[in-house]
Amino acid sequence: MEATFHNLILGFSTVFTPANILYSLVGCLIGTMVGVLPGVGPLAGISMLLPTTFGLDTTSAIILLAGIYYGAMYGGSTTSILMRIPGEAASVMTCIDGYAMARKGRAGPALAIAAIGSYIAGTLSVVGLMFLAPPLAKFALGFGPPEYFCLLVCGLVVLSYMTGGSIVKNLAMIVFGLMVGMIGIDQMSGYFRFSYGIVALGDGVGLVPVAVGLFGISEILVTAGSPEIREVLKPRLRDLIPSKQEFKDSIAPIGRGTVLGFLIGIIPGSAHIISTFVSYAVERRISKHPERFGQGAIEGVAGPEAANNAASEGALVPLLALGVPTGPVPAVLLAALMVHGITPGPLFIQEQPVVFWGLIASMYVGNMVLLLLNLPMVGLFVNLLRVPYRILYPTILLFCVLGVYAVNSSLVDVGIMSIMGVLGYLLRKMDFETAPMVLGVVLAPIIEFSFRQSLAMSAGDYSIFIQRPIAAFFLVIALIMILLSLKPLFIKKRDWRERLTEAQKDA
Amino acid sequence: MKPMRVLVGAAAIVCMVAVGPLADIAPAAEPYPVRPVQVIVPFPPGGVADLVARPLAAALEKLLKQPVVIVNKTGAGGAVGMQAQAVAKPDGYTLMVALSSISVMPEVDALFNRPPVYKLSDFAPIALLSSDPTVLVVSSKSPWKTVADFVADAKKRPGEIKYASSGVYGTMHVAMEMLAHSAGIKLRHIPTGGGGPALNALLGGHVDAISGGPNVSIPHIKAGTVRVLAGWGDKRLPALPDVPTLKEVGYKDVEFYIWSGFFAPAATPEPVIKALREATAKAVQAPDFKTAMEKMATPIDYLDAPDFKKFWDRDAERLIKAVRNIGKVE
Repeated sequence: MEATFHNLILGFSTVFTPANILYSLVGCLIGTMVGVLPGVGPLAGISMLLPTTFGLDTTSAIILLAGIYYGAMYGGSTTSILMRIPGEAASVMTCIDGYAMARKGRAGPALAIAAIGSYIAGTLSVVGLMFLAPPLAKFALGFGPPEYFCLLVCGLVVLSYMTGGSIVKNLAMIVFGLMVGMIGIDQMSGYFRFSYGIVALGDGVGLVPVAVGLFGISEILVTAGSPEIREVLKPRLRDLIPSKQEFKDSIAPIGRGTVLGFLIGIIPGSAHIISTFVSYAVERRISKHPERFGQGAIEGVAGPEAANNAASEGALVPLLALGVPTGPVPAVLLAALMVHGITPGPLFIQEQPVVFWGLIASMYVGNMVLLLLNLPMVGLFVNLLRVPYRILYPTILLFCVLGVYAVNSSLVDVGIMSIMGVLGYLLRKMDFETAPMVLGVVLAPIIEFSFRQSLAMSAGDYSIFIQRPIAAFFLVIALIMILLSLKPLFIKKRDWRERLTEAQKDA
Repeated sequence: MKPMRVLVGAAAIVCMVAVGPLADIAPAAEPYPVRPVQVIVPFPPGGVADLVARPLAAALEKLLKQPVVIVNKTGAGGAVGMQAQAVAKPDGYTLMVALSSISVMPEVDALFNRPPVYKLSDFAPIALLSSDPTVLVVSSKSPWKTVADFVADAKKRPGEIKYASSGVYGTMHVAMEMLAHSAGIKLRHIPTGGGGPALNALLGGHVDAISGGPNVSIPHIKAGTVRVLAGWGDKRLPALPDVPTLKEVGYKDVEFYIWSGFFAPAATPEPVIKALREATAKAVQAPDFKTAMEKMATPIDYLDAPDFKKFWDRDAERLIKAVRNIGKVE
């Protein structure tokens, strides 16, 4: 304990030099920007700036690059709330209730809560990173393919039980998403599947073009097709600040989102995206008024936004404690460290205390900077909604195209985005939810690959899923959820689904 | 403020994408180069190819007096970027840094009876930049102290020892199967999504062995969590002087390197190739490039075009044979 504080002081003394504070600031600023721009995520941001850090000393370089990483999680919520375009893949869930709030003139509070939730989650996760990194990292490595598969099965069961609207339509969308997710090279055998000779489809359809198309482009098309001219909202200061009730409703979701996000973030894979789905589902499940979700529930913004920030820092645990990156962004950070002559490994924290504790301290500073940066911008961003649609929407469209193209320099991605945009428009006209489909696209490759890897490990023996304790644990939870969902068949009681249907009838 | 912000954002993006279209204007018999040069890296940022290409681009920029821009054109295990290079205009303004897997892909396409995405003859080699043999890494909890132990155990229980790879027909897969074929053993292959996840699978105890890059394995060797039994090179690694090569312990035909090379499209005019060869020869001597490579523990292994061509032909022959031995994965 004492040693930790001694080290933290070392860290802060590293950060509190004018140069390092500046790098932290610049990193957070760039992070917010890449988070705001659709398509351009932290991965693109960090890799573009990587070469410019060659000349810096290691600590400054890593402070700058890490700032971009967690800064992007703040920025990602902005376009989700204002325009229903996820600025970053982990902000997909924020689109649902954040945008609904914006349409009710509560964009300000949604943005503010997103920033505050991100701050709380970010800061608490650094505490977690500081104290728990080494033991948690060991736990993360225990996650092999069977554990991952069972976690996802459990997640899917929980989610399909909790998503609103027609169950049949939702299931149809999940299955459709899973099918789209099957496109690409079969990772176990090397076969091309459903790619029709387009090499670029070998890696499957990317999440970014799908999410931007299904959410963003379809929204633009829907708006263009609707005759109503929305009144231009003139936000007053009162409308920018969350009300007491909104604060009260957000506290618990932020807390839960933080814990969930941090724990899920440690698990290898694109876990920060999954953490937002799980957080949203949990909030909806335990809410007393689940029918408000989708109609602008502040909890639906607070939980996922806290989760994605906590997860982005949780993902650093295995990297810093063991030197093993668990996703594309930590992999680039690992590369950045290697360029500076440090190969993180199990001895990283002992051998490089200045870098490790400097990074930890910079994250405390960075989160503070981000809060101060984002709160005043709320007013500015909300004003963006006053720009007439005939100017705003073509501009957004342009940014979507450029952003999606920039990720892989791929025109195929732009094509996918356009197709998904039209598809999303048609689906919404027919009252299908697009979020379950995005979920299917995200999960399909991971779930299939981990399933087949597991069976390869056990030479085809299915008992591998129940022999391993963590895997079995998730399967038991999934089973309990299924049994719970069967309960209404036997015990007649009005559940929230019916209340939701009634609420919609009244509206 | 508001239009300002949008402008800044727009400017950033325009800068990012503008370099692509710029390369389409064709000059006739001009001195080379007169405009920015694009270097395709068919792998994501942070990978071996990317980390070699970036300092190279920085060094070339000073020599060619033109911006040299890295474009990560990723997808399908590198096939997307390599195809883009194969069909690029052969004017010396679109070049590529690729890895040894370049030789494997056409063979895999042939295996599946599909039209090849590109042919090896689509590329003109400029220089070999680095080469690094993989090493046989096992958990320190495993009973194997030598390659002989490993092979003997694998013979006792064929198909039961598990190894992870960076992906099917990827470097870590082909290298391990080369050994398996030569030693007459059968191992169980668990493909993962890349070199990092494969190492994680070993550290987490989900597999028993990997054939991995030495630079990422060394910290774990130092920490005592893993052991290295042998290397795939033709001589011992300077960083691991006690580790024998597989050739030394009796597997004469086993040799594998993760190498990176610099390529131009095949039809690039001779004067342009000459200019690039000269610039690259100087670039690999540049102190900045040397330091960058040293820091990443990736040994520079420079060979000029003719020698590189010979090296590449020999290497491709070995790899193609290995892929044929693997055959279709069920």
